[in-house]
Amino acid sequence: MKEKTIYEHLRDKGLSRRDFMKLCGTIAGMMGLEFSPPVKALGKLAHPTPAEVVARALTTKPKLPIIWLEFQDCAGCSEAISRSSSPSLAKLVLNDIAIEYHETLMAAGSQAEKAKEECMEKYRGKYVLVVEGSPTVADDGIYCVVAGKSNLDLLKEATAGAAAVIATGNCASFGGIPGANPNPTRACGVADLIKDKPVINIPGCPAIPEVTTGTILYFLIMGELPKTDHLLRPLTFYGHTIHDHCLRRPFYEAGKFAESFDDEGARKGYCLYKLGCKGPTTYNACAALKWEQGLSYPVQSGHPCLGCSEPHFWDGGGFYQGQSAALIPPESKTTAVAAGVGVAIGAALAGVNAAKKGRAKKALTSISAVGPGESGAKPISQSESKKEG
Amino acid sequence: MDWSEILRFSRGPLFHLSLIIFIAGMTYRLLRIVLLGWERDRTKRQGSKLWGTILNYLRGLIILPFIPWVRRTFRNNALTFIAGGFFHLSLFVVLAFGAAHILVWQSLCGISWKPLPTPIVDWLAAVGIISLLVLLINRLTHPVLKLLTKLPIWINWTVVFLPFITGYIMTHHLWFRYEVIFSLHMISVCLLLIWIPLGRISHFLFYFFSKTIHGAQAGKRAVTP
Ligand code: HEM
Ligand code: SF4
Ligand code: SF4
Repeated sequence: MKEKTIYEHLRDKGLSRRDFMKLCGTIAGMMGLEFSPPVKALGKLAHPTPAEVVARALTTKPKLPIIWLEFQDCAGCSEAISRSSSPSLAKLVLNDIAIEYHETLMAAGSQAEKAKEECMEKYRGKYVLVVEGSPTVADDGIYCVVAGKSNLDLLKEATAGAAAVIATGNCASFGGIPGANPNPTRACGVADLIKDKPVINIPGCPAIPEVTTGTILYFLIMGELPKTDHLLRPLTFYGHTIHDHCLRRPFYEAGKFAESFDDEGARKGYCLYKLGCKGPTTYNACAALKWEQGLSYPVQSGHPCLGCSEPHFWDGGGFYQGQSAALIPPESKTTAVAAGVGVAIGAALAGVNAAKKGRAKKALTSISAVGPGESGAKPISQSESKKEG
Repeated sequence: MDWSEILRFSRGPLFHLSLIIFIAGMTYRLLRIVLLGWERDRTKRQGSKLWGTILNYLRGLIILPFIPWVRRTFRNNALTFIAGGFFHLSLFVVLAFGAAHILVWQSLCGISWKPLPTPIVDWLAAVGIISLLVLLINRLTHPVLKLLTKLPIWINWTVVFLPFITGYIMTHHLWFRYEVIFSLHMISVCLLLIWIPLGRISHFLFYFFSKTIHGAQAGKRAVTP
């Protein structure tokens, strides 16, 4: 039997054609399709609108199978999606547009394992693998074992039949918290291990739910992963920094900074740079998309950006330390040792000089004893008076 | 290697190492000068050393630079005087009162103070950059200066100019991604720190020693420094 298309599935659930078209418009917006060139590339038909592109895909394609694995993580990215206050969209994607195997949301156990294996078998070559949490390579992956299999084996097994891999959250993208210095389990990003499948990173802590689901949708609709930057992040969502779109930016330009979380400046909405904001170096969609259906995002709510979509953001100095501060300020002991070395070399060379001077003086006195004109004493060498720039 | 990694390296280990080299180098330089030997000053004491010192700084740093015609500074060297003066003013304000730099001081010595408004710092930074360019062109075109200028002086100019221009570009978010230009700023600052003890920019420290000693000597003799 032919699989039902997504549209047929939704229609059977009672969605009208009109609501379906509205949904397609929303999805197109959420994927950032308006701005992405593939729409035009696809435009063999006289320039379909983004919503039409979505509608065509949903009326012709069956549900997209997704296998969702979790490694070293806190399940925060899953939480963010399942608690997201836009249930209509995130839930819709996961319930009605995709079929899902999710390790945590399904009660774990041998049954879940079996369901996953069946899913992998049935949709071999078609499913999208979503990875949440960092793989760990130390000691052959024994620091993260599920159902008796090491995370490395699980990852290898699951990517073998995947059409594409989506790493969601900073952990799966770059190692995240488990990868923070000194990284005892040698946690790393999925893309560090998987080289033979297309991998895309959706870093964040957590990843913005709309960005993860938007990327899944993009793959479903366009049949390929969206364009990425050098860190494999989709450009539509990671093309700008938080600072680029920050509503506190005018205060930054004017040099008006909050000095603490409860001072006059903080109340007036001044820039949070001095409170440790990493907005200028953080590429993410927070400031543009905002969280909770456009309600707000951290910087708007008064908290500096932590830089959670950047590699190793845990190791970038304190969260509340300004971005220009020295990452490793020399301790007083180091400073003392450095000064000591300077003193030691200086004193040693001065000693050598003094000895030379002494010898020269002696030679001079012996000359004057012998009488002028006799040689024997070298003039103090010219090279000793240093030249410098 | 991506730029956020380079940034972390240049803000971290590289800056750390440069500071250590800077500190070791400057103590070395200072000690060498101190140990060159002190002539015992046998002059009979006729005035206050402290007052001489204060007077020397007042005249040399606060008063005379602003009435340059008294010593004919203007007539002989107007360009060097004006551009050099603006450059030093700019350097001081940018380093001591730029918000980003105050955070550096805070992380190094634990104290902080209020920054000047960014537009003022920014304007002065531009003045500093222009001054440096003027001084460069002067050096390239002045027939005598050209002959006097050897490699170390070109290095001096470059290592001071680079932090200025990268800092300015960064603040204005021009052309580069922020982490790229920030890394370049940090790397150029590190170059500067390492170069200072090797060259004549070390005058930033020695200046104050000679000013103090000359002032004290003059004060002891009760003459105007
Ligand atoms: C010691 C380490 C230093 C650090 C961490 C540092 C950091 C920074 C940062 C983060 C900015 C830009 C702030 C913004 O985006 O608004 C900046 C601006 C700037 N920096 Fe530095 N800097 C350092 C040393 C220096 C030095 C030694 C110089 C000059 C010789 C310098 C010259 C400048 C200039 C001219 C600006 C532009 C100021 C403006 O246009 O407002 N910096 N610096
Ligand atoms: S609060 Fe952060 S992101 Fe916003 S303008 Fe200030 S530094 Fe930039
Ligand atoms: S504001 Fe910064 S730290 Fe906060 S969620 Fe967005 S990218 Fe992450």
